[in-house]
Amino acid sequence: MTADTAPSIPDLRNSQLRFRAMESGHRACLGCGQALAARLVTESAGPDVMIANATGCLEIFTTPWPESAWRIPWMHSLFENTGAIASGMEAALKAQGKSTKVIAQGGDGGTFDIGFQALSGMLERGHNVLYVCYDNEAYMNTGIQRSSSTPHAAMTTTSPPGKERMGKRHLKKDIISIIAAHHIPYAATASVAYPSDLRKKVRRALAIEGPTFLQIHAPCPLGWGHEGDQSIAVARLAVQTGLFPIIELERGRLAGAMPLRDIKPVTDYLKAQQRFRHLFQDDPRAREELEHLQALADHNIEVYGLRGEAPDKLDSEGADTVQRGGVRWA
Amino acid sequence: MALILTRGGFALPGTSLNFKTGTWRVQKPYHRHLSAPCHAVCPAGEDAQAYIAKVDEGHFQQAWETLVAVNPLPAVTGRVCHHPCESACNRGQFDEPLAIHKIERLLGDQAIEQGWAYPVEKPRKSALRVAVVGAGPAGLSAAYHLVRRGYNVTLFDQLPEPGGILRTALPAYRLPRLVLDAEVGRLLAVGIDFRPHHRLGRDVSLDELKADYSAVFLGPGDQKSREWSIDGVVQRDLHVGLDLLKEWVAMGSVPQCKSVAIVGGGNTAIDLSRILKRAGVGEVHVVTHQALPGPDIPKEEAMSAIRREIDQALEEGVVIHTHRGIRRLILRGEKVVGVELVHMKKMEKGGKKQTIAFEGTETVLHVDQVIPAVGQEVDPFGMETLLHQKNAFEVDHWGRIAGQDGIFVGGDARTGSSGTVSGAIGDGRRAAEAIDAFLREDKAPEENEAPTLAFERLNLNYYEHAPRQREVVLPVDKRLGCEEIEGGLSISQVSLEARRCFSCGNCFACDNCWTLCPDQAVLKTKELASDGSHYVFDYDYCKGCGLCANECPCGFIAVEEEI
Ligand SMILES: Cc1cc2nc3c(=O)[nH]c(=O)nc-3n(C[C@H](O)[C@H](O)[C@H](O)COP(=O)(O)OP(=O)(O)OC[C@H]3O[C@@H](n4cnc5c(N)ncnc54)[C@H](O)[C@@H]3O)c2cc1C
Ligand SMILES: Cc1ncc(C[n+]2csc(CCOP(=O)(O)OP(=O)(O)O)c2C)c(N)n1
Ligand code: SF4
Ligand code: SF4
Repeated sequence: MTADTAPSIPDLRNSQLRFRAMESGHRACLGCGQALAARLVTESAGPDVMIANATGCLEIFTTPWPESAWRIPWMHSLFENTGAIASGMEAALKAQGKSTKVIAQGGDGGTFDIGFQALSGMLERGHNVLYVCYDNEAYMNTGIQRSSSTPHAAMTTTSPPGKERMGKRHLKKDIISIIAAHHIPYAATASVAYPSDLRKKVRRALAIEGPTFLQIHAPCPLGWGHEGDQSIAVARLAVQTGLFPIIELERGRLAGAMPLRDIKPVTDYLKAQQRFRHLFQDDPRAREELEHLQALADHNIEVYGLRGEAPDKLDSEGADTVQRGGVRWA
Repeated sequence: MALILTRGGFALPGTSLNFKTGTWRVQKPYHRHLSAPCHAVCPAGEDAQAYIAKVDEGHFQQAWETLVAVNPLPAVTGRVCHHPCESACNRGQFDEPLAIHKIERLLGDQAIEQGWAYPVEKPRKSALRVAVVGAGPAGLSAAYHLVRRGYNVTLFDQLPEPGGILRTALPAYRLPRLVLDAEVGRLLAVGIDFRPHHRLGRDVSLDELKADYSAVFLGPGDQKSREWSIDGVVQRDLHVGLDLLKEWVAMGSVPQCKSVAIVGGGNTAIDLSRILKRAGVGEVHVVTHQALPGPDIPKEEAMSAIRREIDQALEEGVVIHTHRGIRRLILRGEKVVGVELVHMKKMEKGGKKQTIAFEGTETVLHVDQVIPAVGQEVDPFGMETLLHQKNAFEVDHWGRIAGQDGIFVGGDARTGSSGTVSGAIGDGRRAAEAIDAFLREDKAPEENEAPTLAFERLNLNYYEHAPRQREVVLPVDKRLGCEEIEGGLSISQVSLEARRCFSCGNCFACDNCWTLCPDQAVLKTKELASDGSHYVFDYDYCKGCGLCANECPCGFIAVEEEI
């Protein structure tokens, strides 16, 4: 292509061979995992969707008044009522005889903690909604406060390491089991490090009639303490160590798990992030916490049977393989 | 911008586009072509990554055209080159290197089979004329690259047929004559005026060439065997290794004997040992003061023969005595009955490298022939004025001889030559470039190769392990005549091989940057292109996080400071 026949950049943008539900110009930080995850979710969902978005970074950085990054109907609920708002949207569309799908989305604070009751109700009533939780493991928008999703021993502004504790005292809430216990047709975890797997799960969830749930591990460079260019690398390590299992549950039963080919020690993951740096000081408590986190990963590997028997095309090493021409498996 | 409403959508689309997040940026990603290691080390200058990319896209003819823009003899080099590209291949540090020489060979063979035309135009009648002496790989390459650049080329050789050593000494079991004839024949047909039976110094003189042509390229190779004796003693029936080999190649005959010791560690020694074994000589020994080549052996201490050929010779029953030299010829009358061997090694002594014999390690080997294969040098006949009593031409990187405007040399005949076919082909190409620059009264040409992509710059997460495709090799007991020993790969095997390429330093349109940019600042053009032009950074919105650079599998994206 010569310079004078090349389309202008705005024209090129408008002719991309993928649906752009979430446009550029949003105010997310450099290398934001949540921005990437939301872009991937909405572009795989396609245009015929409506969104209810909880308060949180995603909501704030995509809609600075009077602008919006969204090219689909999008509504800001409150922090605590996204499940309820999405239920209402779904009921209204149903009454109008429309097939438009409803997606509810929020951060881990809005999902695990403050919006949990509304979410549980939505699942229990069987609304035809996909709920996506962008799990960046703390209340990031208000300045990195711990949530029930924050991993054990991580440092946040409200779980600082010091004389009494080595970061967060409690464990990361096992939200996926709680969700699955609602006996919904489909619940899964995914990671920005495995975009094909993520896209497949969005499409699969949307094809199901009834409530579905997706928990996406999405690094926050600012809150986790790593450079923006490391977001994928860090997310990948969370999976490869077993700390963030990639699983699917149907009606509460485990239906699939991404096998791990080369299991990495948890320290590989932890040392890449400032929120765990206190675990690498010369302190017996730090050593104990490192062992504790390793045990948690080992536990995940055991409970979900993550150890792959032989190399597999869709295991932790194979699932992100790329090819000339961009051919991906999903 | 035009208003585009999406289905189910009611909002003005993407009003956040009004806000240019590009202003936040302090560093910016950009596309940067780096040289793949296979490219960087190829003595002929081939860019394997580039043609393998075309194979991976399914464009075999384009791949061949890319290849022959540099090396016009891929069916030959695909068989006889020692392929340093594969030793350097980054994939070797991951599982196994790509079978680059097999891809090269298949492309060469396909071109012959399908009759693909060399992408070269016949020179105009009025174009300048250049003389090339020697139709070995160096001369053939120079002639071809000169025609490509529009010159009329006359190619002289003393022999009736072109090919140099390829034809006169390379055994057909590793370079079938049908392949050689076909490829060299096609090459000459691009418009080279070939004059066989013309010996420089006998049928035509250097002065005549200088007068009749605008420039002269000399690729005479090494035609004279080095002097050999043990402390001044030689047997009466002395045969020189390369002469025997040439005789066998031309006539199929070798001297009859029961046991033989060949002295030397090069290709001639190994090829000769193998044909003697085929001819029924019971015991064939190769004596060399060098070591078997291997990754930990410095090049100057290793036998110069190709490792693959050495291994096949060993399989066929040749005995190789490394780190050994001949202390004494055991003669009965003037006939050899044996040799005394001694441990020898090249070492630092008195500030310089010397071959040292270790006293007390002598052994006797009973053989009825000793054949030296200790190397060749330039035959100065007809070129005395350029050689100044030396046994090789002193030239610069472009093949130019100081003080001899318009005369260029390449291949085995120059000092410091690698003594390989691919090296000779590279010399021919560089000299053609230099001749072109000289005739256009340009400055000296410049070599501007991009730096090489280091293994550490690859993001291996995005590649999957895959076994190297294997060729069929003729079993030892079937290696009797001239049947080719090493098979090639099939088209489908070559396609699988091409898929294994990391595409080091060059975009392969994997979409990773497009998929992973959180800011939708990587855009894609409609035409699929694997040269990087398929992706465009929209710097209005790129915040400069560097994620794409980190996740580009092949190191094609770099980041630079902006302020
Ligand atoms: C037995 C053997 C095996 C080898 N195996 C390999 C291998 O497997 N792989 C590899 O890469 N390399 C191999 N080599 C080395 C390789 O063959 C040479 O490096 C290469 O052929 C050099 O090419 P050239 O064009 O410089 O010279 P040559 O191939 O020697 O060609 C020189 C040509 O010039 C002609 N000529 C010379 N003087 C005159 C004159 N005065 N007038 C007219 N014509 C003249 C000759 O007739 C000849 O045709 C081998 C060499 C030998 C001897
Ligand atoms: C009821 C209520 N309480 C508190 C807040 C303040 N608030 C806004 S965003 C936010 C944090 C959101 O955290 P999370 O849901 O984890 O999403 P993130 O910002 O990390 O993406 C808080 C506490 C609010 N908007 N509403
Ligand atoms: S992987 Fe491909 S580009 Fe890289 S060195 Fe090997 S052949 Fe060359
Ligand atoms: S990430 Fe893939 S598509 Fe993007 S520049 Fe690198 S090789 Fe090309």
